[in-house]
Amino acid sequence: MKIPRKEFDADVPSTAMGDIAFLLLIFFVILARAVDDSHLQWKPAAVPEVESTGAAIASVVIDADMRTYLNGKEIKDAEKLTEQLEILLGELQPGKRKVFLKVDKEAKAHTFQPAIESISMAGGDLIHVLNREEENGGGNE
Amino acid sequence: MELRRRKLLVDPPATAAPDIAFILIVFFLVCASVQPDTGRPQNIPRSEETPDKEQQSQNIEVSITEKTVLVNGDIVPLANLDTKMRQLLAGKEAEKDRVVLVKTADEATYERWINVTTAIEGAGGIITLQLEQEEVRVVD
Repeated sequence: MKIPRKEFDADVPSTAMGDIAFLLLIFFVILARAVDDSHLQWKPAAVPEVESTGAAIASVVIDADMRTYLNGKEIKDAEKLTEQLEILLGELQPGKRKVFLKVDKEAKAHTFQPAIESISMAGGDLIHVLNREEENGGGNE
Repeated sequence: MELRRRKLLVDPPATAAPDIAFILIVFFLVCASVQPDTGRPQNIPRSEETPDKEQQSQNIEVSITEKTVLVNGDIVPLANLDTKMRQLLAGKEAEKDRVVLVKTADEATYERWINVTTAIEGAGGIITLQLEQEEVRVVD
C-alpha cells in the first residue's frame, strides 16, 4: 500500500513584503549617502546673483577644517586632485564637464586656489556653489 | 427597554504599517533630492607654461588681501570695484585685452575672493589666476 506524503505549504507570506522593501530601501539609502558629500560641513559664501546649476560629474568640497574632498573622499594634494578629475571627466564634451566647487566661506586662498587650478587643469567646467546674499546661512552646517 | 449598541472595531490593519512607512520614505527622499544647488559658473583659462610677459604687463592687475582690494596698485573699496573695473575695461573689445590678473594673498578668504571675481566678471573681465610658484634654489 502506498502511503501519501503530507504536502507542506511553502508560500512566502505576503505581509512580509512591505518590511523587506523597507529594509532594502534603507540599505540603498545608506549606501548612496556613503558616496556623496552631504556629510561634510561647510558654509557657502553669498553673492547677489546666483543661478540654478543642474547636475555635475564631480564635486570638490573644501570644508570648515580646510580639508579638500573629491566626491566625499579626502584628497591630500592638488596633483592627485587633477589626476582624479581627469579620470572622472574622461573624454566628455565641453558643457558636460561640470565640476561643483563647494568652499567654506572662511577658507583661505592657499586652500581653495590650488583646487580651482586643478579643476582648470583637468578641463572641468567650474561651478561655484553659492547662496543668494539675503538667504545666506544654508549649506551643510 | 434600552437597546445596546454594538461596538465596532476601529483598529487600523497592522499589515499596512510597513507599506505606509515605505511610501513616507519615498516621499521624503523625493523631496530631498529635488532641492537644486545654486551657484555661478566661472571660466578660468588653463595656465600657460610660458606666459607672455609683455601682454601681462598691459593687463589689469587686481590684488586681493585679507582686508583690501588693490586695482593696479590703488586701493579700491569693494562697493566701488564694479564701477572701477567698468571704467578700466571700457573700449576693450578683444578677449586678450579684457584679461584681468588676480593675485590673492594666502590669508584672503573665499567669500572676499568670490565677491571680487564676481565684480570683475560682471564688468566684462576675464579672470586669470596669478599663482605664486615655489622655487627651490640650491646654494653651494
